[in-house]
Amino acid sequence: MSFWEYLGSRHQQVLADACRHASTVFPCVVAAAVLGVLIGVVARRSERAGDLVTTAASAVLAVPPLAVIGLLVPVVGLGVPPTAAALTLCGLPPVARNAVAGLRGAGPAPGDAARGAGMSRTARLVRVELPAAWPSILAGVRVSARTLTGVAAVAAYVSGPGLGHEIFRGLASPDGAEALHQVLAGTLGIVVLALLFDAACVLLGRLTAPGGGRA
Amino acid sequence: MTAPEPTGEAPERAGDRGLPGAPPPPRPPARPVTWQKLTFLPAVLVGVLLVTWLWFRRADLDPVSRSVLAGGQVSGALWRHVGLTVVSTLLVLAVAVPLGVLLTRGAFRGAAPAVAAPGGTGRVVPAIGLLALVAVWLGGGRRAALIGIVAYAVPPVLSHVVAGLNAGDPAAAEAARRLGMSSWDVLVRVELPPAVPLILAGVRTALVLNVGTATLAAFAGGGGLGVLIATGVAGRRMPVLVLGSVLTVVLALLVDWLASLAELLLRPRDPEADG
Repeated sequence: MSFWEYLGSRHQQVLADACRHASTVFPCVVAAAVLGVLIGVVARRSERAGDLVTTAASAVLAVPPLAVIGLLVPVVGLGVPPTAAALTLCGLPPVARNAVAGLRGAGPAPGDAARGAGMSRTARLVRVELPAAWPSILAGVRVSARTLTGVAAVAAYVSGPGLGHEIFRGLASPDGAEALHQVLAGTLGIVVLALLFDAACVLLGRLTAPGGGRA
Repeated sequence: MTAPEPTGEAPERAGDRGLPGAPPPPRPPARPVTWQKLTFLPAVLVGVLLVTWLWFRRADLDPVSRSVLAGGQVSGALWRHVGLTVVSTLLVLAVAVPLGVLLTRGAFRGAAPAVAAPGGTGRVVPAIGLLALVAVWLGGGRRAALIGIVAYAVPPVLSHVVAGLNAGDPAAAEAARRLGMSSWDVLVRVELPPAVPLILAGVRTALVLNVGTATLAAFAGGGGLGVLIATGVAGRRMPVLVLGSVLTVVLALLVDWLASLAELLLRPRDPEADG
């Protein structure tokens, strides 16, 4: 049986797995993005806090995702919770780091100018500082989405659904006739999903670019 | 161990940063490295290990957990993991550095953006997928795991090497060539020195990636600390799971710390940048 025949006979299951994979990853990317920006906003004023965020981000990035999941399982149990928590945690560093860099990179000048124009603190943040940092934040979200699509495959070891399931089923019986097809289907599915998320981020960047540039 | 070395290095840097009245450095990549920062992480790691050890001594283990952890299997898995990380990193460098040099030579220069672009397609292939493919293809084992780990780490390291080689002044290489230096001499004496910082960053990337991918080697029959985690999850044995995870985290952070230290110490001095 060729790979295409396998895909033809199993396309429903692969598609269902892909949908579950995407629906696991997407909320976690959004959560990581929101939390990451919040951390950046809190840390933007103080150099020490910003450095702390950057250092912590690179430390969390260095921790293997499987170990993050392993440490979360005793805390939140098996199934979806450790997966969601681990994905959000693994997606946080790129966004937080880029948010700090972006908010710092603009420097105090635009904020000062806006204060001179009589804008409130919140209005300054929302209308001046965040738009200036937006391209950098979006770049972080892009890295985060790409990473999480891959990490979610590993997380499938703890909680069944998703394309990682295909890979682990292939690994469970490596001598089986379908093992290579299963692994290949799972891996290629993840590549396609990651590219789709990537394209979505690029598109979002294009759509929001003029506003971000002018603000 | 290189641990005592930074004593001479760190306070000097710390002093530089603390100069009264000095304007804040405008360049963000200037990484502030202080003595406290260098000792903080190992201290935390030792603390974590101590707490885990104390907790583990009191954890009641059932016969299955006992048999998984008995007879030096934990230290075996740890050393296997270290071995996988070191060997795969050397292999990644052995592949990426010559390939990077090749991609910056005349005829192959055109292929460089496609192969080594920082956002390249190679980066979206998941590590577990690569390992699983190799394992199913070649049968599991240490060799298959190594091939998977190396294949995952080559693209990002390669883009570091290419970026490093492109960082130098092309006019300098051209001038050296006109002066009659052999192309080997031009490469080693003119083009490689400015590339060293980025190549070192690539080494660090490789180490950090590989120590992480090596946890997945367990699924490809390659051993390592991932075995403890996988066994802990599959058999619902929390002590095994936690022990495996904590050791993995400590090892990964230690490797990252050592790599950042190496990056700091091996980076060529450039006196003007610190002024």
